[in-house]
Amino acid sequence: MKKGLVVLFIVLLSIGMLFASGTKESAKEAGPITLRMSWWGGDSRHTPTLEAMDLYHQKNSNVKLEGEYGGWDGYYQKLVTQIAGGTSADIMQIDQPWLNELSSKGDVFATLDASQVDLTQFDADFLKNYCTYNGQLKGLPTGTNVNTFLVDTKLLSDSGIDPNTIWTWENIISEGKKVHQKNASNYFSSATPDIIRFWFEVYIAQLAGAVVDGNKKVAFTEEQGTAAFTYFKKWFDEGIVAPFSQTSLFYQKFQENPDWINGKMASAWDWVSSMGKDIGNKQNIETRQFPVMTGAKNSGVLMRPSQIFVINNTSANKAEAIKFMNYLFVDPEGIAVLGTARGIPSTVIGRKILAEKNFISEMTEKATNEGIAQAGLPQSNYQMNSEVMQTMQDVIDEFGFGKLTPSQASAKMIKNLNATLANL
Amino acid sequence: MLKHKKYSFEGYLYILPWLLGFLLLQFVPLINSFWYSFTDFQLLGDAKFIGLQNYKKMFVSDPTFLKSLSVTFYYVLIAVPCKIAFALVIALILNQRIRGINFFRTLYYIPSILGGSVAISVLWKYLFMNQGIINNLLSVVGIPGQDWLGNPNLALGTISLVTVWQFGSSMLLFLAGLKQIPECLYEAARIDGAGKMKIFWKITLPELSPIVLFNLIMQMINAFQEFTPAFVITQGGPLKSTYLYGLMLYDQGFKFFKMGYSSALSWILFAIILFFTSLTFKSSQSWVHYGDTL
Repeated sequence: MKKGLVVLFIVLLSIGMLFASGTKESAKEAGPITLRMSWWGGDSRHTPTLEAMDLYHQKNSNVKLEGEYGGWDGYYQKLVTQIAGGTSADIMQIDQPWLNELSSKGDVFATLDASQVDLTQFDADFLKNYCTYNGQLKGLPTGTNVNTFLVDTKLLSDSGIDPNTIWTWENIISEGKKVHQKNASNYFSSATPDIIRFWFEVYIAQLAGAVVDGNKKVAFTEEQGTAAFTYFKKWFDEGIVAPFSQTSLFYQKFQENPDWINGKMASAWDWVSSMGKDIGNKQNIETRQFPVMTGAKNSGVLMRPSQIFVINNTSANKAEAIKFMNYLFVDPEGIAVLGTARGIPSTVIGRKILAEKNFISEMTEKATNEGIAQAGLPQSNYQMNSEVMQTMQDVIDEFGFGKLTPSQASAKMIKNLNATLANL
Repeated sequence: MLKHKKYSFEGYLYILPWLLGFLLLQFVPLINSFWYSFTDFQLLGDAKFIGLQNYKKMFVSDPTFLKSLSVTFYYVLIAVPCKIAFALVIALILNQRIRGINFFRTLYYIPSILGGSVAISVLWKYLFMNQGIINNLLSVVGIPGQDWLGNPNLALGTISLVTVWQFGSSMLLFLAGLKQIPECLYEAARIDGAGKMKIFWKITLPELSPIVLFNLIMQMINAFQEFTPAFVITQGGPLKSTYLYGLMLYDQGFKFFKMGYSSALSWILFAIILFFTSLTFKSSQSWVHYGDTL
């Protein structure tokens, strides 16, 4: 009898384990609506977002909002795994390049239209260029994000450089080398290997228009590639940038390099949406415009949404999710609570409210305006593909470690890009 | 006979919770990954059968496969023998009858409790970075600092140290093994005039050889699958010098979403581990001594 009870208990336990999630789902359906929202960021983003969710819940008591948030590392991998497993959140914050990458693999995101959202609040070209896939609007841009060039005015002055210098490709070398000459442990640029790739893309964009065009073709010639690599070789030779052996450890995290934190590096390529975090407690940082060569085909300065909010196409509560998105994007209360947690808002009303409340810092406004004024053509989806970026990065790593000459690097990058593009 | 069958049935019921977990969370994904390795599955969307193309790609058109494989072999060759040797040396020291020995046994086991976690990897990064504690300590004694993690020739060795540092579990097994060696063997050897080194080579090591075998196999399997330090500390760099197989597998599956190719890579890794494990077992016949054969 006793043994029988034990066996019965184990069977029930096993069945319970099997159907545990099913029971939870049933309970969910019977109760109030639960909306899950996922995003990445730091505390400056988490806190206001959670506050906005709380306020929305107070006004809509039947809607329970659950936040799934964390840092950038691993967010995309988790998101894709959740989408594949059918467990992704109802509302998801994504990076702009992912919109095409994921939409091309299936009908992952819900299509939005003017009957659901007041699209007049957004710049039509911005929506068209960055938030549509196959002509369908798939998400809403949280804010306007642009590249910015940060300089440490004190370190420049201390190195004998005019901190108000207007930067050109030439004087980055002729003036920039003074930083390292003055003190051998200081450098003009804080660029890590991944940031050198961004600089390379800017240079090639100005020379040739793009690295990879919208027709899935490498857009620069071997000569143009050689010219770009020859230029960046001077960055290493003249001590503009620290050797890769010192910076590769901070791949994708230049802001964690103690030399940047401690004011030993005088400039940084950055995104406006990240610059607050990247500057941290550093003083004397100002924004400048990027160098542009005479006759440039494209400035190479990127402008795109800070992030995009999309709605899960398999969500059972799409209408409620859209309602909450409207709260975040066009409701004065939602806008005020979120502030600049995701950059300068991309809606007319958002910018108006934050400007009235003096929420937009002078530096953010200046960097954004300068970036918009300089912004070039958007990069093709192929250039933003993860494998294409990795292909470029691998060659730049070899070049930066001195394993390839400029001409070898150019030839290898074109060859490898062609191979990668053929398999996409 | 009937009674025996009844008990067998009950046995399966007792292990049912584990069995279900194993079948659903391990066995089914295992079979799935085998199937996916013959497809172009990209995580989202359908999987299309492409025969042996994924396996062909590895050996014909993916240079990172051979690079990653060679890095992994180097890593196994560095980390496994060093860890076992280090664990053995510490076990021999901690086997002495000295005051407060239990405190030291606990102390040396702590790194293993911490495990190969992300936190430890981050700690390692800050210890060995250019401006890190190691270089600062070296500069105090006048030795110039090194790019421990930035120099392609040093990075793999540096991240191997994370594994070697976590020698606690191997050490405990050696310690347990040392306790099992009959004291009479040592007494007899000493009476016959054997020195300490001779006793170690002729008695201690042969008596411990089954434990060496166990540690070797377990550590080898773990080392082939290593992921965390390469992912957290160096992200496979510099110049892919720490691009371990586990990291490549992850990149293909979760960065490029080539889940079919990633599955094929994991089956090749399985075959490699199976081969070296079998080889080690086979070779053990000539160097492992069990008590009755000494």
